[in-house]
Amino acid sequence: MENGFRGYHPFVLFFYYVCVGVLAMYFNHPLFLLVACLVLIGVNSTHDKGKALKKWIPMLIGMSTIIILVNPFLNSRGTTIFFYFRGKQVTLEATMYGIVMALSLVIILLMFISFNLILNGNKFLFVFSKFLPKTAFLTMLVIRFVPLLKRRFDEINDVQRIRGMTIASGTIRERAKSAMVMLQILLTWSLEEAIETADSMKARGYGIGKRSPYVPYKMDKRDKGWLLTLMLLFSVCIAGGIFGYGKIIIYPELGTLQFYLFDWVMLVCMTLLMSFPLLVEGREQVKWKFSM
Amino acid sequence: MEVFNVKNMSFGFPDTTWKVLKNINLTVTEGEFIVLCGPTGCGKTTLLRLLKKELAPVGNRTGDIFYVGKRLEECDERTLIEQIGLVFQDPDNQIIMDEVMQEIVFGLENLGYSNFEMRKRVAEMVHFFGMEGLLRLKPSELSGGQKQMLNLLSVLLMKPKVLLLDEPTSQLDPIAAKDLISMLERLNKEMGITIILVEHRLEELFGVADRIIMMDSGEINYTGSSKEVINDLYLQKDERFIPFIPSLSRLYMELETSLECKDIPLSVKESKGWIAKMPKLVSEDPVVRPAVESLPNAQLVAVKDVYFQYEKKGPMILKSLSLHISKGEFFALVGGNGSGKTTALKACIGSIKPQRGTARYEGKDTSKLKGKELYEKIAYLPQNPRTYFLHDTIEKEMQEAVTRHRIDSGKAIITELLHVFDIAHLRDRHPYDCSGGEVQKAALACMLIGKPDMLFIDEPTKGLDPISKERFSEVLSRLHKEGLTIMMVTHDIEFAAQNAQRCAMMFDGEITVDGTPEQLFKGNYFYTTAINRATRLSNVREVLTLEEALATWPVPVVT
Repeated sequence: MENGFRGYHPFVLFFYYVCVGVLAMYFNHPLFLLVACLVLIGVNSTHDKGKALKKWIPMLIGMSTIIILVNPFLNSRGTTIFFYFRGKQVTLEATMYGIVMALSLVIILLMFISFNLILNGNKFLFVFSKFLPKTAFLTMLVIRFVPLLKRRFDEINDVQRIRGMTIASGTIRERAKSAMVMLQILLTWSLEEAIETADSMKARGYGIGKRSPYVPYKMDKRDKGWLLTLMLLFSVCIAGGIFGYGKIIIYPELGTLQFYLFDWVMLVCMTLLMSFPLLVEGREQVKWKFSM
Repeated sequence: MEVFNVKNMSFGFPDTTWKVLKNINLTVTEGEFIVLCGPTGCGKTTLLRLLKKELAPVGNRTGDIFYVGKRLEECDERTLIEQIGLVFQDPDNQIIMDEVMQEIVFGLENLGYSNFEMRKRVAEMVHFFGMEGLLRLKPSELSGGQKQMLNLLSVLLMKPKVLLLDEPTSQLDPIAAKDLISMLERLNKEMGITIILVEHRLEELFGVADRIIMMDSGEINYTGSSKEVINDLYLQKDERFIPFIPSLSRLYMELETSLECKDIPLSVKESKGWIAKMPKLVSEDPVVRPAVESLPNAQLVAVKDVYFQYEKKGPMILKSLSLHISKGEFFALVGGNGSGKTTALKACIGSIKPQRGTARYEGKDTSKLKGKELYEKIAYLPQNPRTYFLHDTIEKEMQEAVTRHRIDSGKAIITELLHVFDIAHLRDRHPYDCSGGEVQKAALACMLIGKPDMLFIDEPTKGLDPISKERFSEVLSRLHKEGLTIMMVTHDIEFAAQNAQRCAMMFDGEITVDGTPEQLFKGNYFYTTAINRATRLSNVREVLTLEEALATWPVPVVT
């Protein structure tokens, strides 16, 4: 079994990502979003020492800069006017909106980078099989065929290359023609082989009654504990948001950015919620270092 | 107790008058290990599938099949699924799910077992198979042997009484095949599971089986214990089945003058015992096959210091591989699974581009060859020859080859080739409707229309029955005599020893040794033929193949 954050029940993990995603779009106070963003960068770097994150950094920075720079020029809503650009007003509100939107998007992307590392493949399917069992099963079958088809296609390519047919050179027309022929072989061959797959399913009783899915993951105490904590924190955040904490008014005129006591409470709740992986990993590290 | 009782069963496919099975009578008692064999198309697979009701082919069946005293049609569907398990030929096609664990429980999920029961069974059987380390892997990360073990395991989890297997080892390399057979032997002996196995690679199975059933054209011709069947076959001089007998037993039957049915050797150990009783032979000077002089200018393929890996971080598959093949040679590359021999072949035909080193064909980089240079000079017979065919009949395929190579007397050449390869009756067939051996010959015939200089072959004996193998070997030796240069990659040592002039052994990405089959295989423990293992360090001359023994040993030995 895997350690740390990955070792938790897929439902708990899935719920965590749902919370992060919802809150990223729910709160729009720049400080909230900035904190969330930093926490998620931390979370990502605990997964694989930030390897996946590094690949995304240029894209994240580029995207958010473009949004922040371009939004004020395209959007002229708002009352506090900086200056006029080609007869259009450039406002403080639109700038702020751009910052908030960019931060939100960055958080969601960071969340998906982490999601991809943690809830990959079968864990993801496991979560989905609860809601959509048939679709999840079909997806499993399809995923299984991908490497199989790729291997077969490579084989066909090797053989047909010696016959003078190739997709690597020639005019586009010729290449397309060769590719079509090879795909045709691949299809005929794979359909032929798939008969045996169908037989194998039948031989093992597929379709004779209701399937009882095997549950490879057990919800244990710590899973339940964390799930409950996450739920609690999440409902506090949502409730606070309803009363306007953690949110700012942007249009028509930018409201105050000032923090009230309840804003601080909200911020702590959200930070706690989002740093769930950090807390788990941190605890593990401490245990390894200081226990015999 | 009787498990299966087949009474007067005949079977024919719809819309044909021809019967695939004729008057089959067969009783299977509990705990038996039965091996069904016979040439391709003899109806053995159809018989096996008729025993598994869900997969019974559509057609007209007369006669009855009883399962534990009840007619098969009257048995409960669920019981049949649980109690009769079937493992197929191709390891890949039977795997349904994308994770080993999910695959294992697939059958149990279908039958609606509780999670408690599933966990219990999985824990027990996975341990028995020693597959704990593989549970989280994807099927595409397993080797062929592991995949077939996985298939066996997932069937066994349903706790079957009878296990039917349809050529389960035909796609495996010899070591994996042996592992599978010894696992079957264990299941049979320790758990009493009845096993019915269809197979034509029989060297080890004759020693394991309780009963051998030989079939041809839909009829059971011989049945009995291994030794009885061998004895009968030789008494009847039945040429149809003699190639199926293990070479060790054949050696005994050919040479021993006072035959005793119970003395027929089935294993190397028994054979050594028999040979020890033979009088000591004065060993003559062994006839050495002339080594082929490789003239530097006549080299067709020259591979030098090639390094290759499939992925940037993956292991090196080829390490400093060097290899030369001269014009007119018959070269065989042998080696275990994962030794890189298929990759070496791919480098020779230019399907992969070496990271370091060069692979040249007539002085040109092989990966840069294209179009005419390729198809006029090189032919490549892959493991699965079906990938070669584009058209829906074999004749159309040949016609296309004729136009591609701009040959005038196309008709005459096609007719001749069809005749030479003995596939004239298949000219209007779809390539997918032919057996493995037939497709192989058809593909080879198409390739030869262009009169290539060199032929590359990848694992030609996979899935072939002994008779097709013998025929294929004849075809190859004829082509070789006509001047074709051949390079073959195989793990079938018997086949390599029989055919090749020069052999090389791959190990860990490079060619470790290279020489004539005699130099290479004689005296090895494992990497050699069964006959060699029996005759090594004995009082007779050491030989590699049955043919060699019959040719070089003096007159039948009297004991």
